[in-house]
Amino acid sequence: MNALLSMESLTGGYGDADILLDVSLHVNPDEIVAIVGPNGAGKSTAMKSVFGLLTIRGGKMLFDGDDITRWAPNRIVQRGICYVPQVDNIFREMSIHENLEMGGFLRKGDLSAAYDRVYTLFPDLKERRRTPAGSLSGGQRQMVAMGRALMLDPKLLLLDEPTAGLSPRYMEQIFQICRDVRDTGVAILLVEQHAKQALAFADRGYVLAAGKNRHEGSGADLLADREVAEMFLGG
Amino acid sequence: MDLFELLNFYVIPGIVLGSIYALGAVGITLIFAILRYAHLAHGDLATFGAFVALACVTAMGVPPLAALPIAILVTAAIAVGIDKVFYEHLRERPKIVTVMASLGIALMLRSVVQVVWGVDTQTYSRGIVRPEDYFGLRIRDRELYTVAALIVLVGGLQLFLTRSKWGKAMRAMSDNPNLALLSGIDNRKVVMLTWVIAGGLCAASGFFLGYNTEIKSMMGWHMLLPMFAAAILGGVGRVEGAVLGGLIVGIAEELSVLVIPSEYKAAMAFAILLFMLLVRPTGLLKGKVL
Amino acid sequence: MEFLGLVNYALFTAIFIAIYALLALGLNIQWGFAGLFNAGIAGFFAVGAYTSAVLTTPADDGRLGGFDLHFVLGWIGAMLAAALVAWPIGKICLRFRSDYLAIASIGVAEIIRLVIKSEEVVTNGARGISGIPRPAGDIGYTESQIAYLVIVLAVLIAAYVLVERQFNAPWGRMMRAIRDNEDAAKAMGKDVEFRRLEAFIFGAALMGLGGALFAHFNRSITPEAIDPMVATFLVWIMLILGGSGNNRGAILGAAVVWIIWSVSEIATDRLPHEYAIQAKYIRLFLIGLMLQLVLRFRPEGLLPEPLRGDLRGSRRTTKSGADHNQARSTGPEIDL
Repeated sequence: MNALLSMESLTGGYGDADILLDVSLHVNPDEIVAIVGPNGAGKSTAMKSVFGLLTIRGGKMLFDGDDITRWAPNRIVQRGICYVPQVDNIFREMSIHENLEMGGFLRKGDLSAAYDRVYTLFPDLKERRRTPAGSLSGGQRQMVAMGRALMLDPKLLLLDEPTAGLSPRYMEQIFQICRDVRDTGVAILLVEQHAKQALAFADRGYVLAAGKNRHEGSGADLLADREVAEMFLGG
Repeated sequence: MDLFELLNFYVIPGIVLGSIYALGAVGITLIFAILRYAHLAHGDLATFGAFVALACVTAMGVPPLAALPIAILVTAAIAVGIDKVFYEHLRERPKIVTVMASLGIALMLRSVVQVVWGVDTQTYSRGIVRPEDYFGLRIRDRELYTVAALIVLVGGLQLFLTRSKWGKAMRAMSDNPNLALLSGIDNRKVVMLTWVIAGGLCAASGFFLGYNTEIKSMMGWHMLLPMFAAAILGGVGRVEGAVLGGLIVGIAEELSVLVIPSEYKAAMAFAILLFMLLVRPTGLLKGKVL
Repeated sequence: MEFLGLVNYALFTAIFIAIYALLALGLNIQWGFAGLFNAGIAGFFAVGAYTSAVLTTPADDGRLGGFDLHFVLGWIGAMLAAALVAWPIGKICLRFRSDYLAIASIGVAEIIRLVIKSEEVVTNGARGISGIPRPAGDIGYTESQIAYLVIVLAVLIAAYVLVERQFNAPWGRMMRAIRDNEDAAKAMGKDVEFRRLEAFIFGAALMGLGGALFAHFNRSITPEAIDPMVATFLVWIMLILGGSGNNRGAILGAAVVWIIWSVSEIATDRLPHEYAIQAKYIRLFLIGLMLQLVLRFRPEGLLPEPLRGDLRGSRRTTKSGADHNQARSTGPEIDL
């Protein structure tokens, strides 16, 4: 099977400092891939590199047949990758519905199918569609953020620590939503601080440390790996 | 002093002056919220708009109100041009550098006005206009037009911001610029739209100040402080706040002569500005604090 | 006579440059080292000028004072008064981004202008205060100019040495850290506000001192002596062109800009009368344009880094084609 996204030996960082050193990973269509690792391992940086947000000095990135290594973010968005930042990922002063509308800004024509899809995934949001997004709870904000990203009908969704600061109940809910999203045909690449939970639910995982690939495999295999468990998952 | 005296001599002029401030303050608040800097050339841009209208009146002989749309269009174009030529390349630098550049633009705009139109006080039309009597309220037609223009222009702007795709894009850019860019909103178009709106409203503000009083090269500079006070009083980024703030500052200035010497009328705006920064920097309607 | 005229013009120019250099140094403390945008330089200047005037002139029935104090006390008073005005403004505005300070400082300058015009009891209103004693003012004209230049230069050098020492001290390094790194600044919390306030007050005090030096040089001060926008703007362009963050740059900028400014005046003065008035505004336009060009093409200024500058070379050019009487003809105006 051809990978949807493949990052090949990517080296780069912000300004002159390289944060990623020869990182390779891939995401297949219809799968959830989690990147875990200790703080400062370059997890979020790896994700941002997909989005053209850092200086790349080596390697390349292919998406769905195109070399997107040096594309500008707006072109990448249009090509079908949407990114949900960890913080400040909603328009607080705009209603839920307007948040979604901004998500679909680049789409021409009728958006009603896109709204329907998001509101089907997140029924809570539909009831409160006129509410300013800033007044929602943390979990609901994360839903708005994901919903906004889904409006462009991406093939790949990038989530930067979607469960940061959420209670375990919400965390489970977000993971379930990720599965639901995947089942609608969207691949997901996410960065997680909660390594154990993330690997338990993801289809595959990568462990990064100090900007390099350390381990990869199915979530279950990684969880079972003693070295991974000791080094990165806190036993 | 009876109620009608209070209304006729202080409140009504205050509302008119406040409407003029509000027109400028709306632009200031939009620029503050979307471009994220204080635009110090706003007052002088208003002066420029007032003189463009004057040029139309004297050259084409049209009535002042007919010159207003032309002044709005020309000033909006000038505002976009100033941004393209002088501000755009500073966008990656700290915002305060653009504030400095705008101080320079203020000086340049003013000197253009002084070179082209001179420094003498001028008017759109000569003669004394007597106010009409509306159930004891004495109101001049031009005062009604001023308030009506505020309602029409700001009402239209609100509709644009809440109903249209690009209006919402402007709000999104003000709300969360990074996310707006991630959503594929074209920053350059939003910036341009902001200048069109701010420039147009600026011209209206300058025009109505000239229409109700006189036209002179320093008129806009003296409005700068009240306009900023209005924008901060209302809450940065809040269009309705800027209108509310403008009206409060205008009325406060007119009423201030009851308690302080009239020379210090202009100090009212400054007092309001400092007071708000001290007790509630987000303004009445919870705006941004940069 | 021609030679004497040139000498007098050069002296006159040098004194102005030194006064402006003091203002630019003050702004450098605020902007160059602390990143504070002060758009009300003329206001602090005026406070200093009037304070020293009131303190040092002989008693006058029509107004407060004068107190007939020694000029040194007047100058100290000028610095204290300017600092006192700066304090509450800084206290309120320095919590926020510098945009707010920019607006508030425009306001301060406006209010000060209003006070000077309206409070006749203190400032003598539109007539202004005259008879301000000039140190070494009772000797011959040229000698007196030389003596005053020496005094002003001594003040400038003292200020330069003090400011330069502060900048190289931990205080200066910390200020620059605060200016360049908003996160580091936030982490330092309250302390940052206090440091910024210090910088703002010190800068304002130097501006007040500049005002006092100007008033004593002219022997009088009136509300029309300074066009607030022009004076403020000239100091800004001096610092930006010279090199903000660099004290020598500030002084060099003062010299270069003042020379350009006065040479352009000499040029426009030769125009026929009907163009002369417009030419004044064209000069303002060009000085505004100059700022835009510097910001765009040389934002670091002429002297970006501390460097062994020798300013005498550039000052010498002031003597070219100058005519003393023309420079004086516009009277005691600082913007000219």
